[in-house]
Amino acid sequence: MNLFFIILLILFSSAILAFISNRIVRGSSGIIAFIGITAASILFFTRLSIGNTYSFTLGGIQMQFGLNSFTYLFAIIVLGLGVLASLYSIQYMKGKERLGYFYFNFVLTILGMVGIIFSQDFITFFIFWEIMTWSSYLIVIYNGYSSSKVGIKYMIFSALGAYAMLTAIVSIKGIYGTFMIKDAIAAGAFNFTDHFYIPILLLIGFAVKAALMPLHVWAPKSYSMSPMSFTAIFSGAMSKMGILGMGLVLTSIYSHASPEVSVYSLILKQVLGWLGGITAVMATIYALIQTDAKKLLAYSSIAQLGYIVVGLSTGTKLGVMAALFLAVVHAIFKGTLFMVAGAVERQAGTTDMTKVSGLIRKMPYTFFAALLSIIALAGVPPLGGFVGKWMLYESLITESNNYFLVIVVFFSSTAAFLYSYRFLFGLFLGQEEKETEHVKEAPLTMVIPMLILALLLIVTGLYPGILFEPIAHGMEYLGYSHVNWDMSVLTNIWGEQTNMSYIFSLIGIVFVVVFIFITLKGYKGTRNVGTKEISTSGEIPLEHENLTYQMDFFKPFERAAAPLYKRSMNKIWNDIGNALEAVFNFTRKIYTGNGQTYALFVIIFLVILLIFKDSLFAN
Amino acid sequence: MVITPIHYIVVPLLAAFAIPLLVKIHKELPRIIPGLVMFYNIIISIVLMQQVNEFGYVSEVIAGWKAPWGINLIITPFSGFLVSLISFMGFVIWLYQYRFKKVIDVGELKSYGILQMMMITGAIGIIITGDIFNMFVFLEIVAITAISLTSFYRHRDGAEAGFKYLLIGGFSSTLILLAILLLYTQVGTLNMAEISERMHLVPQGMKATILVLFIIGFGIEAEMFPLNGWAPDAYSQAPGPTSAAFAGIVVKAGVYGLIRIIFTLFDIEGAFDFLIIAGLVTMIIAEFSALKQTNLKRMLAYSSIGQMGLVMIAFGIGTKAAVFAALFLMFNHAVIKSLLFMSGSILMYNSKDKTISTLSGMGKKLPFISLLFSLGAFAIVGLPPFSGFWSKLYVLTAAANQEMILLIGAILAVSIVEIVYYFRVVSKMYFAEETEHIAIFKPSINAKIAMGILGAIILIIGLYPDLITGYLHNAADMILDKASYIDFVLNSNAPVQ
Amino acid sequence: MQQEFHEIFVKYHEIITLGVYGTAIGLMLIGLYAVLMKKNLVKIVIGLSIMDAGLHLLFIGIGYVQGGTAPIFSPGYEDAGDRMVDPVPQALVLTAIVIGFAVTAVALSLIIRLYKHHHTAKIDQIKSLKW
Repeated sequence: MNLFFIILLILFSSAILAFISNRIVRGSSGIIAFIGITAASILFFTRLSIGNTYSFTLGGIQMQFGLNSFTYLFAIIVLGLGVLASLYSIQYMKGKERLGYFYFNFVLTILGMVGIIFSQDFITFFIFWEIMTWSSYLIVIYNGYSSSKVGIKYMIFSALGAYAMLTAIVSIKGIYGTFMIKDAIAAGAFNFTDHFYIPILLLIGFAVKAALMPLHVWAPKSYSMSPMSFTAIFSGAMSKMGILGMGLVLTSIYSHASPEVSVYSLILKQVLGWLGGITAVMATIYALIQTDAKKLLAYSSIAQLGYIVVGLSTGTKLGVMAALFLAVVHAIFKGTLFMVAGAVERQAGTTDMTKVSGLIRKMPYTFFAALLSIIALAGVPPLGGFVGKWMLYESLITESNNYFLVIVVFFSSTAAFLYSYRFLFGLFLGQEEKETEHVKEAPLTMVIPMLILALLLIVTGLYPGILFEPIAHGMEYLGYSHVNWDMSVLTNIWGEQTNMSYIFSLIGIVFVVVFIFITLKGYKGTRNVGTKEISTSGEIPLEHENLTYQMDFFKPFERAAAPLYKRSMNKIWNDIGNALEAVFNFTRKIYTGNGQTYALFVIIFLVILLIFKDSLFAN
Repeated sequence: MVITPIHYIVVPLLAAFAIPLLVKIHKELPRIIPGLVMFYNIIISIVLMQQVNEFGYVSEVIAGWKAPWGINLIITPFSGFLVSLISFMGFVIWLYQYRFKKVIDVGELKSYGILQMMMITGAIGIIITGDIFNMFVFLEIVAITAISLTSFYRHRDGAEAGFKYLLIGGFSSTLILLAILLLYTQVGTLNMAEISERMHLVPQGMKATILVLFIIGFGIEAEMFPLNGWAPDAYSQAPGPTSAAFAGIVVKAGVYGLIRIIFTLFDIEGAFDFLIIAGLVTMIIAEFSALKQTNLKRMLAYSSIGQMGLVMIAFGIGTKAAVFAALFLMFNHAVIKSLLFMSGSILMYNSKDKTISTLSGMGKKLPFISLLFSLGAFAIVGLPPFSGFWSKLYVLTAAANQEMILLIGAILAVSIVEIVYYFRVVSKMYFAEETEHIAIFKPSINAKIAMGILGAIILIIGLYPDLITGYLHNAADMILDKASYIDFVLNSNAPVQ
Repeated sequence: MQQEFHEIFVKYHEIITLGVYGTAIGLMLIGLYAVLMKKNLVKIVIGLSIMDAGLHLLFIGIGYVQGGTAPIFSPGYEDAGDRMVDPVPQALVLTAIVIGFAVTAVALSLIIRLYKHHHTAKIDQIKSLKW
């Protein structure tokens, strides 16, 4: 049997086993899921190599599995994060209800993503895309009734995207007579010459998963409502499936852009770039005012995906490279951050930043992971995030001449500092609350995945070349000519070089010195102060008063940006939904319930048909 | 014993009349007999489908009167497929209902068995007969028994639904009869193959008139808008197994009539475009109406109408790929919608006031049933890897081959509505707080097996559709090949054994 | 007597044919009116029956051949093949009458049940199933 099938079969059977085993031994599902995903990953990385293909026919449709260097990049994200998240999940989900159900869908989601990566034709792509969608939907509603509305919204938008994609797929089949992705690209299905709607529809389909404005409204709540061990994959890996698709479509649009259609591709570039930019800014602004750490991270995810789309939309070598690099790094740090939020949620009972604070002493390892990933998120040197953003800015400034967009991206990136600070400070720093006194460090199997990911952030910062290598291969697959890269040296177009290892060691030294200084100082004369121990102006705070650092945080900013918050996309979509429901409700009044009315319908229909019979049923 | 097509009709009919006698012997017999009959029908199907594969068709001349003078039964790949489907669904529905009516007394059980057997006789008769008046008679048998079954439960609003059905069904029979009459005056025969052969003699205006009458007459049975006012009521008030039978058996026969008329009897291009438009309107209105339903069975009924709309669209596209897709849709609709009605009526039976909002917590109380319902819901909205996906894909591909982009858009937009209302139910079942506890009526093991069979079919066909695509391709070829149908019936009258 | 009748019939054949068709269509329209306009369930069912009766009459009328005989070859009627009345419509009508009878029976039993349930026989008041 073929290796592609074996990998999918391993995942499938471990999903089924996970579903069943929880009834036999409580809590065993998590371990089975972990083993299944790990086994599949090991097989994938050891036995499968780029260029393998396998063709088969199903339902009269020619299908093909295969692995190319572009999808391989995403396989690294999916399987790497999948293994770590499932390891993390074992302890995180311990003691919760319906574990069989959760892990069944958890593994199926990963199966869907692996299938997407394998598929070389649109039908298998779509099948696995939908498997991924519905299994993740089932996890979104895992947390009960309050999330079922969120789940429906997620499903509606996913269906919107998926069906836009399906329309494009069957159109390609109708026009070009093929379901193969490669053949379709070669036949020019993605250039704008005749059928401009095909690439547009495909992009809409992918934009939903990539949470691009204005199709992002499902994301914040879906991300924050699902169990965190899943959100790590949901935000870290699944959104990248949208990026995968967009990358494929966009690069082939740009590379096929013949002179007569290049205007359209320019417009597309601008539109997508701006959508990405606006997504980044708006999501950042929304992230700022969240008091729940999970929601903050959810919005931050959307913002980061916005950057990636901006990078992809440029279509230049450097821009795409930056986008792909950011995609990988985002998967790493956002995976870590959601795991951190999950650890806090599990240990402290809530991720509300107005209730939890000062966990640094209780959960030092978690804090360390959070710190590193926040640094990466903010794009501060020396970690991976910096490298990605550096390349993104460079490509925007030097190659696309889109200075307004640069300003927008700069703004949102700067504002990201604010929420990063809020997250880090709100949960870990600040004074300790009485309610969180009992909190302990998360269990080992939860800490290890976080620390591994944090370590990866250091590595990607120090040696970005580790990622540049697969990215460069992937881009060559997409049709870019030779991509230059160096293990740890960034070169800009003017030939100036930035050596990451040099920066890293410099900053590292500073960091260590400061750390030692603070620690030494901390051992000397400081004492822990609770929030209630302070008295200001002679007023002694009452026990129930909430004095955490997070109360009314950014209030002035919130006031300033109030008009922005009023016009949310969410509201517009809700209005559309309500209007549609009203229409539907009106339509069904046709069925009046009176039998005679129905009989009248029959006669009227008969008379109409008889009147128009000659035009309707002409030979 | 040699198995011939007549057994399809004779055996259930005989059983229907034997039931009131057999009940005197043992009161369990009316329960068991229908099952045996349906099982025998499945055997007939297997044997005859083998012959069909071998010879291309099986026909039987009744009482020695050769076509076109006598009534003949003909099984082509198309009708054979539908008859096998009906036999199979009939058996599964029997399996489901075997212990379902434990509480009902023998008298009612008896009449239920009689009516059901008659209904299946009628539905099979519609499909295998080669004579158009005979088809009308069988259609009336189906209508009358379906009306009686709709109003079977006294405590529901069954009588109201039955009366509406009867009123509209009365129009249906009158119009079809009128159409047959007009057709007879024009071509002087009732044999469908001969009618088809002589159709070119009919003047254009008359042809169109007859077609309109037929379309409305069969459109009522096939749930075409605006002729489908009876359908939601009938579906929602009928006993659970009957609702499943409506979706799996009755509607199939109605659609068969429509297709036979349009594809074989008439050669009018406009009829195909009309089918697309009618199907589209039917689908849109039905799915819109389904969204806000509070009664689960009514919601399923509207969804069923919507699916039939999609079937009509697929037939209307009219290419081989589209007809194939339509047949696949009919198969899926029979299996999936029956499963939904079966599991749905158990769920409704256990909810407090028979509304969707009281379904909360069913996932825990009836885990197996809820799982099957969810499976059905996933399959019917066309999510892969369940069987519903393939039929939807084939329909869309067929539409795309004709460059009907707007049609594809409409079908998919409606699918989103479908997703909304099905997933609302699913998430309600699993993730809402439990409402107050009421005594749970656990379905018996045979009902579970019946539903499990349907669920397994959904999964297996979903993962490996090639199991049935071969048959469906043959059937689709047959529908479009009018000449060989005529040839089968008129020129080779010796019954093939 | 029979001969006389036959002559009259031949003489006024056109009028009678028209009369038959007119009556048939008239009956159908009357039935249709009753079905669509009358509110009483029983009247609606009567309308359905009248409609059917009209249709049956139309069938017979169309099948009739002037001066035709029964389609039986018996002594004195050796030429029946040339001038027989088409038997098929009559056979169809027989079947249709039986079906109409069954439908009416079911309808009336339903009306009884509806009346017991709703205490009214007005169709526009029996609307518990709608939308």
